[in-house]
Amino acid sequence: MRRERYHSGPLVWLAIVVTTCLLLFLFQKILWLVVPFLLALIGYYLLFPLQQRLVLGGMSRDASAAVVSGGAFVVAGVVILLAFPWISSHLVSWQDSAARYIEGGLRFIAETLAWAERNYTFAAKARLSDQLTQQISELGEKFAGTYLTAAALTVATWLPSLLLAPFLAYFFLRDGWRFKMFLSRAVPNAFFERTLYLLDQVDHTARLYFQGLIKLTLLDALCLGFGLLLIGVSAPFVLGLLTAILAWVPYIGSILGCLLVVLVAATDFPGDPAMAYAAIGLFIWVRLLDDFFFMPMTIGRSLKLHPLLTVVMIFVGGAVAGVAGLMLVLPLLGIVMVLGETVGEVVTDPRLRARHVFAKALMHRQATRDLRL
Amino acid sequence: MLSIFGNHKPEQGLQELEKLSLFVDLNRREMKIVDGFMHERNYLKNEVIFDEGEEGQAIYFIRSGRVLICRQGQTEKPIATLERGNFFGELALLDDAPRSAQARAAENCTLAVFFRGDFLNLMHSHALIASKIALQLARHLGARLRSAVHAEQPSL
Repeated sequence: MRRERYHSGPLVWLAIVVTTCLLLFLFQKILWLVVPFLLALIGYYLLFPLQQRLVLGGMSRDASAAVVSGGAFVVAGVVILLAFPWISSHLVSWQDSAARYIEGGLRFIAETLAWAERNYTFAAKARLSDQLTQQISELGEKFAGTYLTAAALTVATWLPSLLLAPFLAYFFLRDGWRFKMFLSRAVPNAFFERTLYLLDQVDHTARLYFQGLIKLTLLDALCLGFGLLLIGVSAPFVLGLLTAILAWVPYIGSILGCLLVVLVAATDFPGDPAMAYAAIGLFIWVRLLDDFFFMPMTIGRSLKLHPLLTVVMIFVGGAVAGVAGLMLVLPLLGIVMVLGETVGEVVTDPRLRARHVFAKALMHRQATRDLRL
Repeated sequence: MLSIFGNHKPEQGLQELEKLSLFVDLNRREMKIVDGFMHERNYLKNEVIFDEGEEGQAIYFIRSGRVLICRQGQTEKPIATLERGNFFGELALLDDAPRSAQARAAENCTLAVFFRGDFLNLMHSHALIASKIALQLARHLGARLRSAVHAEQPSL
C-alpha cells in the first residue's frame, strides 16, 4: 500500500508560481492590511511561548491571551512614553546630524567623482561631478514641496492600519488554535491526516521564517556593529541594526544600507576616504557572510528553496508588486509551495479519493436507511 | 463572530483522556495543554481510519465505539478489537514510518486524534509534558515487545 514519495510535477510548480504571483498582486492592493497582519504574526510567534507558560500555570487560554497581549501593549506604551521626552530633546540634534551626514556623503561622492575626472579622460568628458551638483540642487529645491508632503500623507494613512497589529496579534493568540480546529473539522476523514500535516507544515514554515528573520537580523547587526566599532564609526550598533532591518528588502535594502554606512563613515572621517572604502568593504563582507552562511543557517533552512528559484522569484516579486513584492515573495512562496505540494499529493492519491467516496456512500446509506421505497 | 470556532471539548472528554496510560503522569494543568491539541473525529461503521502501509501522522484515542485492527482489507480476521479508552497508531508519534495494519471503525465511533507535529512542538514548548508522554509511550512499547517475545519463545 505504501506509495512512492510524492514529487511535485511541472504543472503543480507552475500553479505554485502563478498562485504566488497572483497573491503578491492582490497583497499589493491591500498592503494596508497585509503589513499589520505580518507584524501581528511576528508578535504572535514572539508572545506564544509566554502564553503557553501562563496556560501551564493554570490560566485559561482566553485569559492568558488577554494578559500577554495587554502586558505587551502596556510595555510598548511605557517604552514610548519614556522615550518621548528623550526623543523630543534629541530631535533637533538628530536633524542636524542627518543634515551633516547627508552633506558628508555628498562631499564624499563629489570628491570621488572629482578624483575620477582627474585620472580618467572618459569621466572628465562625462563631467559627472557637474551633473551631480546640478541634480542635487534641483532635488533640494523640489524636496520640501514634492516629497515631504507625500511622505507626511503616507505616514498619516498608514498609522491607523498599523494600530491594527496589536489587536490582530491578540486575536491570533486567543483564537488561533480554535481556527485551526475549525479548519480541520471541515476536512473529510479520508484526507484528515494529510491535511493536518499540511497545516502543521504551513505553521512550521511561517514560524521558522519569522524566527529565522529575527535571528538573521541580530547576526547581521552584531557583525556589522563590531566591524564598524573596529573602524571607529560613531553609533556602530545602531547603524548595524538599521542596516540589518533595511536588508529585509532584498537588493534595494542592501543598497540603502550600504549608502547609510558610507554616509556616516564619510562624515566621521571627512579627509580620509579610505575609511569610507573600508566601511564599504566591511558591508560587502557582511553581506557575503549573510548570503552564504547566515541565510542558509536561518531562513534558507526554513524554506528549503532552490537558490535559482529564490533569485528568479525575488525578481518576479519585484516586477509584480514592487518593494512589497521583494519583501513578501519568499515567505509567500514558501507557504504556497507547502500548500501546493500537499494538495497535489492528496488529489493525486487514488486510495484517499476512493476512501472518501466510500465514506460518503456509508453516510448516504445510514441517512437513507429508513427511507427505502 | 469568532464564537463559531467555539470550544467543543466537553470536560468529560478531558477526564477520559486523563485515565489513559499514556497520560497517567500528567497533572490536570498539563492535561489541559495536551487536550488543546486534540482533534475530535467521527467515523461511521466500516469506515477506514487509516490503511496499512500509509504514512502515520497521528495517534488515535477511542472516546466511544469500537475499532478493528486488521491486515489490509481482512476485516473478518482482525488482529485486535479495541474499545473505548484504548488507543492505537502510537508509533506515528515517533516517526512517519508506514502503518503496520489497517484500522477500521467496527461501529460508529468518536476518536480523539493527537498529531505528531503537535507532539514535536510540545517537545520544544513543554519539554516536561512531552517527556512524560514519551516515557509512558516507551513503557507501553516495551511491554508490547516483551509480550511479543514471550509469545514467540514461551519456554524462556
